Amino acid sequence: MANEELILKLKTQIIEYLNLMEIEPEDIVNDAPLFGPDSDIELDSIDAIELSVLMEREYGIKITDPKKGRKVMTSIDKMVEYILENGKG
Amino acid sequence: MFIKDMSCISTQETYNNVIFENGVKVFDAAKLWAIEPEYKCIIPFKLLRRMSKLVRMSVGAGLPLIEKHKGIDGIIMASSYGSVKRSLRFLNQIIEYDEGTLTPTDFVQSTPNCVAGVLALMGKITGYNTTHVNQGLSFESCLLDAMMLLEEGKVNRLLLGGGEELSEENYNIDEQRGIFKEEAISTSELLQSTSKGTLPGEGVAMFVIDAMKNADSLAEIVDVDMISHVTKEEVFEKTKHFLAKNGLAPDDIDTVFMGRNGDIRTDFYYDYLQTELFNQQNIYVYKALTGEYYTASAIAVWLAAKLLSEIALPQECSWKQTRRLSKNILLYNNCEGTQHGFILMRKA
Amino acid sequence: MSKRVFITGIGLISAIGNNATETRDNLKRGQTGIQKAKLLKSRYVEIFPFGEVPHTTEYLKEKAGISDEKGISRTEVLALLAFQQAIKDAVLSNEDIATYDTALLSASTVGGMSMTDQLYEDAKKIGEPSDYLSSYNIGEHTNNLIKRFGIKGVSATFNTACSSSANAIMFGAKMIKSGRCKRAIAGGADALAKFTVNGFNALQILSAKPCMPFDINRTGLTLGEGAAYLVLESEESVGNKKIYGEVSGYGNANDAFHPSSISEEAIGIIASIKGALEVADIQPGEIDYINTHGTGTENNDITEQTGMNKIFGKIPPFQSTKTYTGHTLAAAGAIEAVFSLLAMENNELYPSLNCENPMDDYNVVPNKNYEPRHEIKHVLSNSFGFGGNCSSLIFSKV
Repeated sequence: MANEELILKLKTQIIEYLNLMEIEPEDIVNDAPLFGPDSDIELDSIDAIELSVLMEREYGIKITDPKKGRKVMTSIDKMVEYILENGKG
Repeated sequence: MFIKDMSCISTQETYNNVIFENGVKVFDAAKLWAIEPEYKCIIPFKLLRRMSKLVRMSVGAGLPLIEKHKGIDGIIMASSYGSVKRSLRFLNQIIEYDEGTLTPTDFVQSTPNCVAGVLALMGKITGYNTTHVNQGLSFESCLLDAMMLLEEGKVNRLLLGGGEELSEENYNIDEQRGIFKEEAISTSELLQSTSKGTLPGEGVAMFVIDAMKNADSLAEIVDVDMISHVTKEEVFEKTKHFLAKNGLAPDDIDTVFMGRNGDIRTDFYYDYLQTELFNQQNIYVYKALTGEYYTASAIAVWLAAKLLSEIALPQECSWKQTRRLSKNILLYNNCEGTQHGFILMRKA
Repeated sequence: MSKRVFITGIGLISAIGNNATETRDNLKRGQTGIQKAKLLKSRYVEIFPFGEVPHTTEYLKEKAGISDEKGISRTEVLALLAFQQAIKDAVLSNEDIATYDTALLSASTVGGMSMTDQLYEDAKKIGEPSDYLSSYNIGEHTNNLIKRFGIKGVSATFNTACSSSANAIMFGAKMIKSGRCKRAIAGGADALAKFTVNGFNALQILSAKPCMPFDINRTGLTLGEGAAYLVLESEESVGNKKIYGEVSGYGNANDAFHPSSISEEAIGIIASIKGALEVADIQPGEIDYINTHGTGTENNDITEQTGMNKIFGKIPPFQSTKTYTGHTLAAAGAIEAVFSLLAMENNELYPSLNCENPMDDYNVVPNKNYEPRHEIKHVLSNSFGFGGNCSSLIFSKV
């Protein structure tokens, strides 16, 4: 799948899983931090777990260690990179 | 203890007191849904996105009170079902994914104490915090908890609330238990009905309660009591006992709020008390407006406080009118004819 | 005009015993009840150990004398067994119980939702309604105890997650102190349930090994089940009864930091312990033993030690008994209250389990061995739940 398509698909899924109301895919900047106070959307530890469930259900990637998850999911770009390396589509 | 301020989201337009201008909405439906405010201005979306309906109604009603009234020392909530839709959504995940990797938000949101926890978090209120889940007596035990806490003298102001959300799932369970009407009925005819069952509703009422009276106190909550699994004669005795404990005879009560809900199997308790003890009093009702749910007595308290602060209640609340002015109000409610709650209120 | 609150009866059931005697034997011997679950139907029994009560629900119903009754959840039968023991221990007659002056305060987090599969079907109206339709609600077990025993006083059911039954005991104590009742039976119950197991697993805080509270290498909590009730009585109704101790202090505060973890500064923990000490009117140095919340999660154990260190400076002998029973959720406050009372009654400390490499943040170690001669005048029991709910109880010798 082309990167652009995957980026859009991932953003749409994140918005759905985390119920990010009033946010459109174009509002999420690809390389901006997803977590913490510097982030526009300020996700937290419970979101990290939700996203690891997303990775498993949508891309077949199991992230069992929440700390590793936080490192891999710092931004959309990083997540896409990880999916392309490890995912099943 | 004294009600300083309050807020209510219900099946009626209670949120900004619009009901007192626009009147009562009548429903011809099997389920009565709450009329919710626009939450965007009240709750940051980062938090709103996670909230179940019960949590957002409670925050919608409670957060503005927290922001307006400084010095809230603790939060006590009542909700028997909690965020039941989220519980059941989590349950669906368990079954549908065969206990595979599941998302935790639904589990965390589903617990009844989530409301009190979220309000404490958002209001940074680190004092006493607890949640009552005793079905039809949840709000009564919440009030009692508050009373005892204020009596200890270490805290002066509390946020209390009672609420439930309605979902298809808990409706299904209660429908199969035979709680609801089998036939279609309008809320305007509900309380006169002679068949089994009632109509389900949902809503939240929140109160800022002070230990001491002040100039803007809306009403006083004097005492609370309860009894379960008893006959109508025992309810009669308990009512007299409750009033006597507070130095009152039945005749000292001007007004009684009754939780009649149109279920012929259980409304007889109200008939009996009205005939035997309260045939000279004003009688008010409310479940044709709110529907039936475990913490509906919280909305009765909201209505009674309005009445005690001299706001005329809608016609539809008036079951019997006398010339007596409302100064001493008894609220009596029963849940499924098994749990009986008593709240005594008076003019502040 | 504050009245004293005495404990005249205890009843409990957990993975380490069907009653107080069996429980104490296992505590003294350091015998845990945590193992691979045999009855819980969940795929997670292959991965996580549990503190399961090793009897089928049918067997428990038989012991409780209700074999023929339908629609009774496991939570409810655990509650009934513990309740029956407590009222027998306190020598309460039917007349004592069935009066306006006796209150019932209980607690649960799962209630009848322990019947997870039936709940799923009933909620979706799949097939015929099950016998459990009325049991799902958390307050139902309380309501049924009232019906069974004809209780005529105030009732309440609490759900503040892991601190629930501690709050029930606190409420009961306040009812008696304020003269609103003469007697209060207070406690809670929770059965292991697919619902709860999956919830905690989704939060990634379950341990594949039996929990290791206060160990550097701890990996999370172990779930358990059980029930316990205390009979609390006022001075005027105690008479010559045996007294386990009195409820001398209680505190409740909210950490207000995060839905499922406690702040680094342990704000809620410190406030609830301080609150309890204030009510008991004793100094931290007078506490002889602390039964901690000690779940074995990274967050709880460090924040609990932080809180204890801040208040006590020199932390008295402490331990977590969740290594014996698992984390019994709503029942934990009451079950651990009973453990605290047994320790105080017998002036003993129990061995701590699963702590090979104690945390070194504050240079304190949970009590290691069985100590048969440790005088206990005041004991502190802590319970901290999701939603920032922190509760502490102090029991004192009379």
